Amino acid sequence: MNSLKLCLWLAVTSSTLFGQSARDIVAEVQKRSQADSQRYEGLLQVIDSRGKTSEKQWIYERLGSHGKSKATIRFVAPAEVKGVALLVVSYPDRASDQWMWTPAINRERRIAMQDRRTRFFGTDFSFEDLEERDIDHHEYSMKGEEAIEGEPCWRIEARPRPGKKSQYTRSVIWIRKTNYTYAQMENYSEDKLIRRLKYRRMENVQGIWTARTLEMEDMTRSSRTILKLESLKYNLLLTDDQFSVQALRQG
Amino acid sequence: MILLRLLSWQYIRKHGPRSLLTLTGIVFGVAVFVAMHAANQSVFDAFQETINRIAGATELQVTAGEPGFDEDYLEKVQSLPQVRVAAPVVEAVVSTGLPGQGNLLILGVDMTGDRSLREYDLDSGEDAMMEDPLVFLAQPDSIMISTELARRNQLRINGRIALDTVAGSKEFVVRGILRPGGLTRAFGGNIAVMDIYAAQHVFGRGRKFDRIDLALAPGVQLDEARAEIQKALGPGFQVQPPSTRGQSFHSLLRIYNFILKFSSLFALVVGMFIIYNSFSIAVVQRRSEIGILRALGATRRQIAMLFLGESLAGGLLGSVAGLLLGYLVAGKVAANVTSLIEGAYGVTRPETRIGLTPALCVISIGAGLLTSIAAALIPARNAARTDPIKALQKGSVYALSPRADRVRMAAAAVLGAGGLFLVTSTKGLSLLYAGYLCVMVAAMLLTPRLALCVVSALRPVLRWIRPVEGVLAADSLMAAPGRTSATVAALMLSLALVIGLAGAARGSSARILDWVNTTLNPDLFVSGSRSLTDRNYRFPDSMTPELESVRGVEQVQRVRNVRIDYQQQLVLLMAFELRKVAQRSPRRAVEGDLKEMFRLAAEGKGVIASENFATLKGVHVGATLEIPSPAGLLRMPLVGVIREYADQQGALIIDREVFKKHWNDDGVDYFRIYLAKGAAPDRVKEAILTRFSGNRRLFVLTNQEARAFVTRLTDQWFRMQSGQILIAILVAILGIVSSLTVSITDRRRELAVLQAVGALRSQVRGTIWMEAAAVGLVSVILGLALGALQLYCLLEMTARDFPGLRFDFLYPYGVAAIVFPVILATAWLASLAPAESAVRGSLVEALEYE
Repeated sequence: MNSLKLCLWLAVTSSTLFGQSARDIVAEVQKRSQADSQRYEGLLQVIDSRGKTSEKQWIYERLGSHGKSKATIRFVAPAEVKGVALLVVSYPDRASDQWMWTPAINRERRIAMQDRRTRFFGTDFSFEDLEERDIDHHEYSMKGEEAIEGEPCWRIEARPRPGKKSQYTRSVIWIRKTNYTYAQMENYSEDKLIRRLKYRRMENVQGIWTARTLEMEDMTRSSRTILKLESLKYNLLLTDDQFSVQALRQG
Repeated sequence: MILLRLLSWQYIRKHGPRSLLTLTGIVFGVAVFVAMHAANQSVFDAFQETINRIAGATELQVTAGEPGFDEDYLEKVQSLPQVRVAAPVVEAVVSTGLPGQGNLLILGVDMTGDRSLREYDLDSGEDAMMEDPLVFLAQPDSIMISTELARRNQLRINGRIALDTVAGSKEFVVRGILRPGGLTRAFGGNIAVMDIYAAQHVFGRGRKFDRIDLALAPGVQLDEARAEIQKALGPGFQVQPPSTRGQSFHSLLRIYNFILKFSSLFALVVGMFIIYNSFSIAVVQRRSEIGILRALGATRRQIAMLFLGESLAGGLLGSVAGLLLGYLVAGKVAANVTSLIEGAYGVTRPETRIGLTPALCVISIGAGLLTSIAAALIPARNAARTDPIKALQKGSVYALSPRADRVRMAAAAVLGAGGLFLVTSTKGLSLLYAGYLCVMVAAMLLTPRLALCVVSALRPVLRWIRPVEGVLAADSLMAAPGRTSATVAALMLSLALVIGLAGAARGSSARILDWVNTTLNPDLFVSGSRSLTDRNYRFPDSMTPELESVRGVEQVQRVRNVRIDYQQQLVLLMAFELRKVAQRSPRRAVEGDLKEMFRLAAEGKGVIASENFATLKGVHVGATLEIPSPAGLLRMPLVGVIREYADQQGALIIDREVFKKHWNDDGVDYFRIYLAKGAAPDRVKEAILTRFSGNRRLFVLTNQEARAFVTRLTDQWFRMQSGQILIAILVAILGIVSSLTVSITDRRRELAVLQAVGALRSQVRGTIWMEAAAVGLVSVILGLALGALQLYCLLEMTARDFPGLRFDFLYPYGVAAIVFPVILATAWLASLAPAESAVRGSLVEALEYE
């Protein structure tokens, strides 16, 4: 009888532990990376399947975080794209609104919600990949543990909750046990691996462990994009006015 | 079969050239029919295929006529639950700086709004080569072209291509190349993709889209989605599958189809007469052969089948030859049609591929065979009825029996009277065609009697010219009206068609000239393109005061013409400053008071319709028209109907302010400029060009140049008609050559008798010449007379088939004057070879002929 009770307790506890702990771990990742605002200068390298590399630079600013944020990306180089800017307004309960400003024709344009799977300006990131997602958009389940580049990680599967749109049917996330940071993420459509994102060059910036290099690999195109974050700062004094379509126009 | 091989084949071999000539009617009739259908089908298929290729996986398209609609509607459409993807599109047809490349269709699409920058061609996925998508979007001079265009012009990534924009010719950078397939096959590769906002910018489209392409959410039914989207947008929008857009092109070809159908039918009828004539003579020539066959036990049915078999074989040969000829000509016809559509409607030419469908082959060969058999029926029946004893006797067989003549006259009288009644007193199109047929049959039945009368009248003239030869020629014709009547009938019909077509062309030309004189009276036209029909480039309203300030300019009128969908038909909506138009170029009123209609319409209290619109829609002054606009249905009373030929589908005229309000569009297609007294048009033109040419694509047309443009357009229509006239003349010439050759050859014995009794060769030759000329003369006189009736019927058909296109009856005296000597000369030329053969051949053989 006692052994039966023990088995029952173990079964209930372990399932609860695994189910909750996956979400808790992701929540902890979010909590630890929480910042009121963020700014960095990004260097973007796109390496196509033939090995040809193109580079771009942008300045990224964000106000708020994780599902309730506004962010701008302003391209500063090369000369042909200088001044092009993007505004992303993320909501906890629906997909983000995105606008783009093209100075050469003095026009802003709205990027349709339904097209978030479009590649982000020739990179291997999609518009959706750049959104800051709320933890409640997905359901999480623990799939075990696995080391990534020698570091022990939790392996967690995330699936979009019913009613939440995503181009991916599921994602597998590796989270470092040492500092609760993402180490790698694989995104699947049905059972096919579409994209793999690696988080590298971890640094503690103002108390927040941050990957200074993100490497996205597009498995279908055999190309990859490396984003390096320079001059990274958190919790700057940014205001709502800086994150509007009008502000986008003013540059 | 044995009879065919033993008798018919020998006869055909002996009379090879004549047999070939006999087939020409069928060849021409079938060729015109095949060319017309194959060309039309290829043009329609090309437009349809182009639309489908451009549409890709689009299930529905949202449009609001040519003026487009505000960008704001995109979000409204995107937010509908039935919609999975909604992608806006702007289209423009522009000329390139590339020699020999013609126009390019520019497709402005929202690159960020598609699944991927390389996936605009939804059919073929990863098909595009794009150097840098962000640069493509950031730079408005970016363009993506098809591989075909790149290959033809040795263009590569970062290569440059000049395009006409609203600000003049600008260089664009090739930043992407679309791989072959799908979209790029539209317009034979003359297609390019731009960012939609850049396209708006460079083509002066403001913040408007031409259409929105939709893909539906999974599980949503097309009809259900269509109804919901239509409900959400309102009646000013059209929500249709892409395939329906092709239908509008189909309607543009209606008049063209009408003319060609008419001509091919006529060519077949004329061909039928040539065959009838040839077979009738063959029956006569082979009387003794028929007599022998009958004496040897051949049945009447076998004799009839022998001739029908010959006709069938000839018909088959002629039909196949016609099919091939039609196929060869179809490419030219298709090029003509697309050129016409390009000129009149400003669309890019699609790449046409001529193909013969099995159905077309069967129908055309069937029509050729039927014509051939129908033509041989009467001669075959006559052959079958031939008495073996009489058949072996020589003698005149061309004389008409008094009884047959009476029957003919009675039938002609009944048919003629009935036909004339139907043509003049009924309203329906079918009754008109029935009446027309009756009149033509009556004319043919009357031909022998009429020919006899005319020849009798001509006899003294012929005698006066050449006493011996003239009398002999006239008497020969009078003695055998049966021999010449088919020749005369065939020629008469062809000439009647010539007169009918030429008269219709003259009538329409006169009307258009009158309209041009009334409407196109400004001194200068300032347009964004070389033509006044191309609406790819629009001017901003802000140009108006600048133009007004040019020295010498007294008045500037802004014009905006757009094609809108009115009751599922594209009609032209013309927005004028009506107060100014009323002063300067009042139109001709068809219904309503001219001053009052312009006053009401200028105050925004009504709409004016063109005559053809009112007739097509069956509306009269006082009716309320519901015009779809993006702002909803614009309900306005019809205050007047005027004569206006701007569009064959009909035109509606409203005041510019009304248009601005309901279409939220203050663009200008072209300016009509009136100069101050004494101002020199050339100087003002120069001043305008100097003022604007640096920063704007602009063409200044003088009044003469604008008229020349309109005339060029109408000339294209008339060129087509001229083609028909030419065919009719050609058929007439072939008819006369064939019939005279047959007729003279048939009289070899009679002519040999003349020589045997002492007639000189020159006299025999002269007799033949005069006889040929007399046949030509009789045919021309009757043909030109019947032509008047033909013209009347043709104008009635046009007016009833194309409401509003009622042209004046203007007899084409000029064409008649040309036709007269042409036919006489042809008749004489046609008689030269048989005459020489008759006078130079062996007398003994000739006397043994028959």
